[in-house]
Amino acid sequence: MSKETQITRLIEDNPFVDVAAYLFLEDIADKQGPAGMNNYLVSLANSLARSMPEEEYKTWEEFRSALASNRSILTTFEDVVLPTENCIVTTKCPFGRGWTEYTKRIGNFAKVHTDVAEYYNTTVKPSVVDTQCIIHQTFRSAAAERIKVGGKRVKYAQVAAVSEYGVRKIVPEEWLPILLNTAKISRTELNMILRNNSCVWVLYTE
Amino acid sequence: MLDIALVSLIQDMSEKAGVEGTIQYWLRVGENLARRMGKEAYMGWPSFNVALREGRTAFSIEGDVSALTDLAITDVDGDVVGYIYALKRCVFQPTILRIRYSVGELPKADRQVAEEYNNTVRNSAVCNFCVIHQKFREEVAKNITVADQVLECYQLANRGFLGDTKTDEAALKKIGVNPEYVRSLLRNYACVYAMLMKGARLKGEEGSR
Repeated sequence: MSKETQITRLIEDNPFVDVAAYLFLEDIADKQGPAGMNNYLVSLANSLARSMPEEEYKTWEEFRSALASNRSILTTFEDVVLPTENCIVTTKCPFGRGWTEYTKRIGNFAKVHTDVAEYYNTTVKPSVVDTQCIIHQTFRSAAAERIKVGGKRVKYAQVAAVSEYGVRKIVPEEWLPILLNTAKISRTELNMILRNNSCVWVLYTE
Repeated sequence: MLDIALVSLIQDMSEKAGVEGTIQYWLRVGENLARRMGKEAYMGWPSFNVALREGRTAFSIEGDVSALTDLAITDVDGDVVGYIYALKRCVFQPTILRIRYSVGELPKADRQVAEEYNNTVRNSAVCNFCVIHQKFREEVAKNITVADQVLECYQLANRGFLGDTKTDEAALKKIGVNPEYVRSLLRNYACVYAMLMKGARLKGEEGSR
């Protein structure tokens, strides 16, 4: 692990900033409704990805090594394990700390976070549990676009997510066979992974 | 991750809504956060200071706050009406460091928002996040009573990530504390503020009347 990565791992975000960010998003929802908040979340995630440097790797193995050691922009904010060539498993949701601080200091997570998720699931892609997943999955998609392996752009697809409070969202049944095939895991293995991890996704090149 | 995503949005927001728009958003966030935390009541200053030390007050979300009990604020009768508090590390500092090691640099809007706030609202911000944070403190104080007296908060001094400082000389004069002493506190703390009972008749005010 590089010195920079070690430093980043050591620094924990301050709960004040996290909770303030949630309230900022709720303020947006109050004024612009679920559609407006959804647009903000997508814009926020895309801005973040755009502000990070592009990456290129010679081989898939080199890319996997960067992912596993948090050197890639895709894993800057999360710790992952890579059970197969293309399957990535996030062990702990990077939003977990913020959510925990929110529920500890403010109370129940505002309903608008799941309302907006429903809007996203209906209008964009049925893959999120709450607003945190919208940011995270949009970021991953935009960040993957900034990475080339062997000269080819990396593609991202979400398989399943489990929220900090245990709610699962697996992509629709008809999408699963092709995604599990890309991930090279079985349905049983997916359920085993979801028991004690937070997110399963795939990366590939065309 | 959310903190860094939010910061990356500041530039976009400031370009679309102007830095004034961002300030309005931030002030509302600070106010909402304080409102959502609810009200608190304490028998007296010792119970408030113990609650603060044990992380039970709304202020505890800031992190490591010390009640400087050697700096009690007294009124014209010599009664203790408040204390000075000091925050060890700016709430925004971890995010600044995380941005440094993930994105690379802070958006320029960070400085622009702080400068606009200093010019148009109050000359007390060392970064854009001071706007949320100082508003939060002001509003939280209004939700707390000590010995049935509502509190008010005065921002006294703060130090930014790059070492720049802001000191509110008028507030220090009001509570009767030497500015040099508060500046020396900034060597060990990032932010210094006073909490006192609203409407207290202070010695500093008597002198200026």
